[in-house]
Amino acid sequence: MNAIEATGLKKVFRGKKMQRVEALKEVTFSLSKGEVFGFLGPNGAGKSTTIKVLTGQIRASSGEAFLWGQPVSHPSSRQNLGYLPENPSFPDTLTASDYLRFVGKVFSLPQGELQGKITSVLSRLELDTTMKRPIRGFSKGMVQRLGLAQALLADPDLLILDEPMSGLDPLGRALVKDLISELRQKGKTIFFSTHITADVEQVCDRVGIIVGGRLQCVEPVEELLQEGLSGYRIYYRKDGTMCELPAAREDFPREMETLLSQGIEVDRVEPQRRDLETFFLETVERARYEN
Amino acid sequence: MVHTLFVARLTLNALGRDRVLHTLLGVSLVLLCLVPAFSLFSMRQVQELAVTLVLSCHALLLIFLAIFLGSSTLWRDLERRHTSLILGLPLSRSHYLLGRFFGVGLFLLLFSLCYALLAVIAVSVSATFYEADRPVIWMNLLAALGGDLLKAWLLAAVAFLFSTFSTSLFLPLFGTLAIYSAGSASQEVYEYLNSDFSSQISAGVRWLAEIFYWILPNLTLFDLKTQAVYSLPLDIPALIYPFIYGFVYTSLVLWGAEFFLSRRDLV
Repeated sequence: MNAIEATGLKKVFRGKKMQRVEALKEVTFSLSKGEVFGFLGPNGAGKSTTIKVLTGQIRASSGEAFLWGQPVSHPSSRQNLGYLPENPSFPDTLTASDYLRFVGKVFSLPQGELQGKITSVLSRLELDTTMKRPIRGFSKGMVQRLGLAQALLADPDLLILDEPMSGLDPLGRALVKDLISELRQKGKTIFFSTHITADVEQVCDRVGIIVGGRLQCVEPVEELLQEGLSGYRIYYRKDGTMCELPAAREDFPREMETLLSQGIEVDRVEPQRRDLETFFLETVERARYEN
Repeated sequence: MVHTLFVARLTLNALGRDRVLHTLLGVSLVLLCLVPAFSLFSMRQVQELAVTLVLSCHALLLIFLAIFLGSSTLWRDLERRHTSLILGLPLSRSHYLLGRFFGVGLFLLLFSLCYALLAVIAVSVSATFYEADRPVIWMNLLAALGGDLLKAWLLAAVAFLFSTFSTSLFLPLFGTLAIYSAGSASQEVYEYLNSDFSSQISAGVRWLAEIFYWILPNLTLFDLKTQAVYSLPLDIPALIYPFIYGFVYTSLVLWGAEFFLSRRDLV
């Protein structure tokens, strides 16, 4: 059973003066258990709309979606889901502990284990010292981390994270990346949206790129990076001076052999690749041109 | 159902820490403390004036709370996108809506209970200043407070209904106020139209007024102040009918609210 199954998702909003805005156009993809999927797209491409359809916040105009085989319209589809919306907002008179207690109860976590789980998840997100403080006093980064904490509390097998790194400082971003890697090792399935390609490169198995409401491609990240390898740059020392030799992918073995046969000390080799950002920009450009 | 209770508790917890509501509770305490002093102005109807003041303050505060909390609770959740988090949990929209409503309703009930306790003290103190012809019937006083509470629950439900399809606070707030005004006057208008004084009013207007009379909540039903102020006998049907009416009307309004919320896109 797939963690996420979306088939032909279409969403049409009625704007002012009844104008039609097609936010999603036949979006189809699936996510198997244990995968980390990065959902890339420029602003307004339909990332959040897709996520809102998957979490039952909005209804698709046509098509269907399932979480763990359950239709997303049914609340039980979210029983094994941790969801972080974009820019989460909490009832601000509550404390972090109050809110997480509520979340734990909705997930039917055993009463005896609840406090331990709350302490543990807040501690993992470095919020343990603020447990009893009203959320109204939290910084943007703290609110974002609390959003992650509530998504992780019930230890769900599937996480849908809408811009999880948004509003975080470099330390917070590193913390979240570590967390995603840790969850990946535990076999959790993660679907997260972002427009930062470096994040996807580092933590994702597959990437989907959506532009103008249409899913342009879904590709394994590793393959993209391999395909994008154009050549190498060889750095070596000759007469005490550092030299640089660019080598095409197919010429690389021959160039290396030549250098080594001359007894030259190779300092380092750097692969020259088209990174995910270039691929993303090309995809967006192509999609816009086709439209 | 258990999810509804969790949401209700969360709502009550959040309302209990709201500073605006703390201020309002302080104001009601001050008003109640002033009741014995103000009731002396009536000369010979000290007890009656004390009961009138206590009930009027209660009705005013409760209606303000019902309209304010009913309009802002759901609207704020939608506007600040608290719903994205809460409804991202395995929780149905109807449980969420009912939980929010019960939380507000429970807050109004707790407010009324505390108020009733202090009101009994304030009226007792006032009654010692001048002996009334008829002693206070405490059950009548409590019934009148209960009537106000039923009215407040109904108005809160109306405000919730407006919040489910409105994108601004304007409609829930002023729409509920309008319903309150119309609902308070509908019985009198109906009686006027059925009296000899309205013979010149056209049949069309009469028909329209009758339709509104049946659609709008009849808030006069919940008014038991006269019996409480003058210690008049209160029969059981007079208590049961407003209770059943309030329960059925509030349930229908909440059903409508659930209908609209379940169809709303939470963008």
